[in-house]
Amino acid sequence: MTHVLDARGLVKEYRRGRAVDHVDLAVREGERVALLGANGAGKTTTLLMCLGVVEPDAGTVVICGHRLPKGRSAAMTHVGFAAGYLPLPERLRVREYLRMYGQLYGLADPEALAAKGLERFGIGHLDVAMGTELSSGQKTLVGIVKATMHDPELLVLDEPTASLDPDVALRVRTGLARLCDEEGTALLVTSHNMLEVERIAERVVFLAGGRVVADGRPAEVAAGFGQGDLEEVFLHLAREREAREHQEGVHP
Amino acid sequence: MSAARVSERQAPLLRIRAVARRHAYTLWRSPHRLFDVTVWPLVDTVLFGSIGIFFASQGGPGSGAQAAAGYLLAGIVLWHVVYQAQIAVATGFLEETWSRNLLSFMVTPLREIEFVAGVALFGLIKLVLGVGVVVLTALVFYSFDVTSLGLGLVPIAAVLLVAGWAVSLFVMGLVLRFGNGAEAFAWGIFFVVMPLSGVFYPLSALPVFLRPVSVLLPTTHAFAAGRALVDGRGMDWGALGLATATTVVVSAAALAFLVWMLRLFRRRGYITRYT
Repeated sequence: MTHVLDARGLVKEYRRGRAVDHVDLAVREGERVALLGANGAGKTTTLLMCLGVVEPDAGTVVICGHRLPKGRSAAMTHVGFAAGYLPLPERLRVREYLRMYGQLYGLADPEALAAKGLERFGIGHLDVAMGTELSSGQKTLVGIVKATMHDPELLVLDEPTASLDPDVALRVRTGLARLCDEEGTALLVTSHNMLEVERIAERVVFLAGGRVVADGRPAEVAAGFGQGDLEEVFLHLAREREAREHQEGVHP
Repeated sequence: MSAARVSERQAPLLRIRAVARRHAYTLWRSPHRLFDVTVWPLVDTVLFGSIGIFFASQGGPGSGAQAAAGYLLAGIVLWHVVYQAQIAVATGFLEETWSRNLLSFMVTPLREIEFVAGVALFGLIKLVLGVGVVVLTALVFYSFDVTSLGLGLVPIAAVLLVAGWAVSLFVMGLVLRFGNGAEAFAWGIFFVVMPLSGVFYPLSALPVFLRPVSVLLPTTHAFAAGRALVDGRGMDWGALGLATATTVVVSAAALAFLVWMLRLFRRRGYITRYT
């Protein structure tokens, strides 16, 4: 099985310190991977480097055979991206927004694919709504439709279900699972909801202090830390970081 | 991937069209943004046209005061070519920062040059609207028919259009580097360029120490060529040549600056300002 994402030796240093420290992150065709870690662990910086939005100080990123940054435009035809924190442009209707992104992805019939995507997530009735008229859950769903309407080989979701109620979160998970099963789409997702991660991901990569501290199946990772589940691993790593910062005098 | 796609040759054009259409919707649904292309041109034309008519009434036929009226009205028409070209592209980019849409665009196949082309394409429509308002106001209010200056206006307007786009690239670079705090340049930069360009008067009217700066600006030579048409001297090919050459230099410099700032934007992770 080939890699749809192959990032090696990623390093990113900001003025406040090293955010990402020699991270390797690979996702195979159809694989569902969760990138986990506490706030400040380096998840978003790693994602943004993998997407070519932030330039790494060292390391390489290859997406579906296209090496970044030179092959960014070609690589992005294979990638879909949505984030729970990104708004929809205010002055566009949902169908106009989706048509625009469909055209950016080079789709020959973006309207039909947008309608199919909206139906997949049970929000077909929203196609004429303005972005400002949507609830946060509906915006998230529309963002995911935007990210999936071109049948990407790799779907990257940053905090997709943050601030969603359990019903909408379930709809997101169900829609994503169906998409991945039907289309063979690989998934790279970040989330702070460990229960959700255990339901979605077959492999988890834990970051702490900008480094990969665990990589494997959820149960294996939890067992490796001597913990019962991913939530306990998360709390364990958070406590470790707190203790380290206390020792280094970051927190009194 | 099973979704049917257009050919690789068609894809860039489709992306450019998508960006242009996105900005058309934005303008259509934000009437206050029409201010730049309706009210400003009208106010400018009434202001400078009335000053010109007042001066003209102070002198006899063929006097310097008569020429000043022509300079003011032709100047304001040409000024709006460069101003509208710049403001349309710069605000098109700012719109993406205001709506926090930059990250979403940056993770699509859209190339930077395609984005600028899309915004500039739609900007041409705004430019036609804005300049149209000036031309009509000058004709109806002051009986000044800009077309009477002849086809020589076309190359001058073309140079000013490209100069406006070049300045907008520079503004985009500043916003990428310094964030939305730099957006004041989008509206303010031409109010620095305007007096230095001799929009309404010859270079000799400027203080001596400012003239070397003025000579470096493409707009200075373009407006000099415009005044030659107003004076009935025909096309000043020397001024037009200088305007073209300096526009090429300024455009290359602005593009290099934008590429540099974009690189810095990616290297320093400034995208987080817009997420």
